[in-house]
Amino acid sequence: MKTIKNGIFNENPTFVLMLGLCPTLAVTNTFEGAYVMGLCVLTVLLITNFIVSIIKKLIPENVKIPVYILLITTAVTALDLLLKQYVPALHETLGIYLPLIAVNCIVLGRALSVASVSSVGKSLLDAIGIGLGFTLSLSLLGLFREVLGANTITVMDGISSFTGYHAVFQVFPENSIIPMTIFQKPAGAFLTLGLFLAFFNYIKEKRGAAK
Amino acid sequence: MKEFQVTSGPFIRDKNSTKKIMFHLLIALTPIILFSFYKNGIIPFINDKVTILGMFYPLIFIILGPIFTFLTELIYVKFFLKKDHTEVKRHINSSFSIFPGLFLALVLPINTPISILFFGSVIATMIGKMLFGGFGHNVFNPALIGYLFVTVIYGSMIASNGGYLNAMEMDAITTATPLSNVALVEGIGTYETLVEPYGGLLNFFIGTIPGALGEVSALLCLLAFIYLSILKVIKWKIPVVYVGTVFAMTCIIGSYNGLGVWYPLFQVMSGGLLFGAVFMATDPVTSPTTPIAQILYGLFLGILTVLIRYLTPYPEGVMTSILLMNMFVFILDKIGSRSRFNFNRSVFSFLFAWVLIIGLSLQIGYGFKKEDPKVDTNFNVNNIETKDGKTVYTVTQKGFSGNIKAEITIEDDLIININVLEISDDYYPKVTKENFDKQLIEGQENITEVETVSGATVTSTAIKNMIINTLKDYRGE
Repeated sequence: MKTIKNGIFNENPTFVLMLGLCPTLAVTNTFEGAYVMGLCVLTVLLITNFIVSIIKKLIPENVKIPVYILLITTAVTALDLLLKQYVPALHETLGIYLPLIAVNCIVLGRALSVASVSSVGKSLLDAIGIGLGFTLSLSLLGLFREVLGANTITVMDGISSFTGYHAVFQVFPENSIIPMTIFQKPAGAFLTLGLFLAFFNYIKEKRGAAK
Repeated sequence: MKEFQVTSGPFIRDKNSTKKIMFHLLIALTPIILFSFYKNGIIPFINDKVTILGMFYPLIFIILGPIFTFLTELIYVKFFLKKDHTEVKRHINSSFSIFPGLFLALVLPINTPISILFFGSVIATMIGKMLFGGFGHNVFNPALIGYLFVTVIYGSMIASNGGYLNAMEMDAITTATPLSNVALVEGIGTYETLVEPYGGLLNFFIGTIPGALGEVSALLCLLAFIYLSILKVIKWKIPVVYVGTVFAMTCIIGSYNGLGVWYPLFQVMSGGLLFGAVFMATDPVTSPTTPIAQILYGLFLGILTVLIRYLTPYPEGVMTSILLMNMFVFILDKIGSRSRFNFNRSVFSFLFAWVLIIGLSLQIGYGFKKEDPKVDTNFNVNNIETKDGKTVYTVTQKGFSGNIKAEITIEDDLIININVLEISDDYYPKVTKENFDKQLIEGQENITEVETVSGATVTSTAIKNMIINTLKDYRGE
């Protein structure tokens, strides 16, 4: 439990470690893209952390990184093909950022720093914690950007071919406000991320002062 | 020995200087505000175009801007930073809190709703100033941050509200501001197409042309510049070099195309160039402090403005270039302070700037000269099919980005259908929204008279030319 909490709050990959910023900035223009990307990273983390922690004693020190990369790439490719089969529309929107999970530094970083030195249970818990932290922070960004930028919340649109439900909600009644389209663009991604970082640092500082 | 620590500028402040600077700036801005009130409020009221409320709208608008920024800053300092009373008072006294709102109101179009001004002012103060650490710490000009947000998010809405035109001009002038007119004119333009619609260069000088609330009058900007530089409130080098660079570059471009001295004057006096150069580029926090850096700053501002005006679809360029150059102030100041007592050290930078100026102007001028709108080599007939008295043309025409491919059906010498097969222009949805193809089919007898879609001029012109060329081909001309 402590490990999971640590992954979500103290070592949140986006807001504290600042890792994996490429998908963070690129796919968070809709809520759906954000949380699906987070879940994909969670899945890949689970698989790789599990395998790495099992085989950690078999691998010689000097070929560690190539082997891990190979493992990660295998998992990512499998995931990529699966998504392409079942949710082609979403696969299209995530685009290049899905295969790019392979070089996401969160995954390799966790494999190197946690999974290769800890037990199977601990590395699984760590994967869940970090993955959930990533998913939550991405969803937060995606929610913020989509509500401000397009006045909608896309819960299920691209993945509706798989789940069978279609759910896109309108936040404010139409024509009552004008969406700030800048938040849907890359500039808005940087701005939102910056504002969130400032906000979380502010909270952290306040807490530190209180202690 | 104490260590010398660099924090942020401005370093030298005397006791009264902030209040004095604010006072002088307000004095310099007063005629501009009054002229704006006269031009956008009183004249339309005399001519019965607006109600009494509409008469005072520009004045209320300009006064509300500073109030909004002042309140935002007050609330931020008081409730977010939780300062006590004396500190709040000291902070407010020394932080120029009204100026971002005032400048923002002066560079916005007359038809901006007050809610958008409020949004812009809050953004200008919060994101542009306070989040950086307050006055003296901001990298970018706060007013321009607000302006950037407003134009990016609500630009199209303001434009559909009427944009820069006040009630008088809406009836008289159809083509927005002089600079957006430049974008509509093919090639580099002539005196008749650029200056004549607004009634001569004297109007540009006095300021009776359409434009943002405070930026139109060249005369008042000049007076403000002289007043402020004599009192040493602003750094005179920046505006002089900035405007001089734009003048020189447009002079080269103009003379390369055989245009007289009116052309650089027109470019300098239209748009927000003078206002931006005098009030925005000389902001005490976000502009360089050493003389050489100031000259370089002005040079690069001028180059950027000309580049944006000529090589991008955006007619203005002043605000964007000032924001961009704000980022380089630190580097320029480094060059400037290194070569403070040895001019030779900055020779390279100046040489670079001058080569850029001359090279770019020649390049831009050459680009206009090459263009010959009469002969259309961008058109190509791919296929002609005749069936049941109908002729189907498959044609391609070069559009804004990439080729436009379309099927055009002709029956009894008349076009009955236009079916666009391939198009990569981003502006195409705007064209379909206006039912431009229907307009073309209805107006095909006098096809050159069909008005293009504003906001998607290049795309709609390309489609129109495609139709014209197809008809020419069909009639065997």
